[in-house]
Amino acid sequence: MPLHNMYQKVKFFKYSGNFDASHINRKNIYDAQILYAQWHASDTSKQLTIEMEIETLDRSVSLKKIKKASQANLPVPEDVRLYLQPTTHIPTDGKVALKTMEITKGITDRFQKVEAIYNWITETTFRDPSIVGCGVGHAGKMIESGYFGGKCTDISSLFVAFLRSAGIPAREVFGIRVGKSHFSKILGKSDKHGFADISTWQHCRVEYYIPGAGWIPSDPADITKLELGEGLKYSDQRVQELKKRYLHSWEMNWIGFNHGRDFVLYPEPEQYPLNMLGYPYGEIEDEVLDYYSPKHFSYRITSQELGLK
Amino acid sequence: MKILLVFIIHFTLFAEDKTALIKVTGMTCPMCTTAIKKSLKKVDGVIKAKVKLNTAVATVTFREKVTQGQLLKAIADVGYKGEFISVK
Repeated sequence: MPLHNMYQKVKFFKYSGNFDASHINRKNIYDAQILYAQWHASDTSKQLTIEMEIETLDRSVSLKKIKKASQANLPVPEDVRLYLQPTTHIPTDGKVALKTMEITKGITDRFQKVEAIYNWITETTFRDPSIVGCGVGHAGKMIESGYFGGKCTDISSLFVAFLRSAGIPAREVFGIRVGKSHFSKILGKSDKHGFADISTWQHCRVEYYIPGAGWIPSDPADITKLELGEGLKYSDQRVQELKKRYLHSWEMNWIGFNHGRDFVLYPEPEQYPLNMLGYPYGEIEDEVLDYYSPKHFSYRITSQELGLK
Repeated sequence: MKILLVFIIHFTLFAEDKTALIKVTGMTCPMCTTAIKKSLKKVDGVIKAKVKLNTAVATVTFREKVTQGQLLKAIADVGYKGEFISVK
């Protein structure tokens, strides 16, 4: 289910279908809001329809505010400390720690560390179109293998792993593109009526936390997507422009769902832990439905831009 | 009247099916279990396959003609490594 916050307001959310039971819960360590539906075995086609209206606002935190807060070097609040912890796919020790130390050598200021890591990530990683979906997001494997090609979850996870290793709270934000980007059609598009079939437009972004400035939006993966999609080099002006913006902002033709990594849903599914929840998740008995394939699962997600109200 | 009744009873003797527990390494997400399960079930003679992510164990029921090598290859074919825990 979508996040409800300052940059993304859920105006309404409703669901219907021929399920035998359903409920909404937040019973997981990431406080992710989950819609659960269950069907008994039958020959009937199982259906669930979700409708939601969401108002989004482009999101940016001023560099002046971030730098000032960073210089104050305030303690990390208790409720944010979860996002300093390693998970199965986001290790913060070993080679990850060594690489983080190498990238941030001689830097003590939190935000300057973020900048150094962001520069390394955007320059070193590249979009690998052969990766299925958004990628698994296995930061440990990337650093072990030395192969830095991936998709948005892979690149975001590596960024998060380095940041956490540097003592900066960080998290992936799993979501979906919902329409036209004003920067590049590579980063989202819709038809002339503002409609789009977004069934395969899942996209993972990042937030990092500077005490005093709060959670700050970032999106290193879209830098690599722009390079590949528009055939640009890292040094090209448009790439550098987006890189500058996406250190501390998001264009909001996108909806965020949750921050969960390597966690267990409720009720406990047959297969767990779930490495991320960026797609609809379904099981028939003990078999996981292919969430990377809307056609086979099957699901369809569409968006309609309503404009300003 | 004498009637000779001859009953020919044909017994087909099936060898007992086997069940193997295989430790699988390399799984990263729930979809991995589906890929492994499907690959194992493609092996002629595999009756049932169940793969659990949290324990990283595949439970495979198969006819006697199936070799352990075939099962390990089926797992390797989809990018994972299998190691037998037990076969009964």
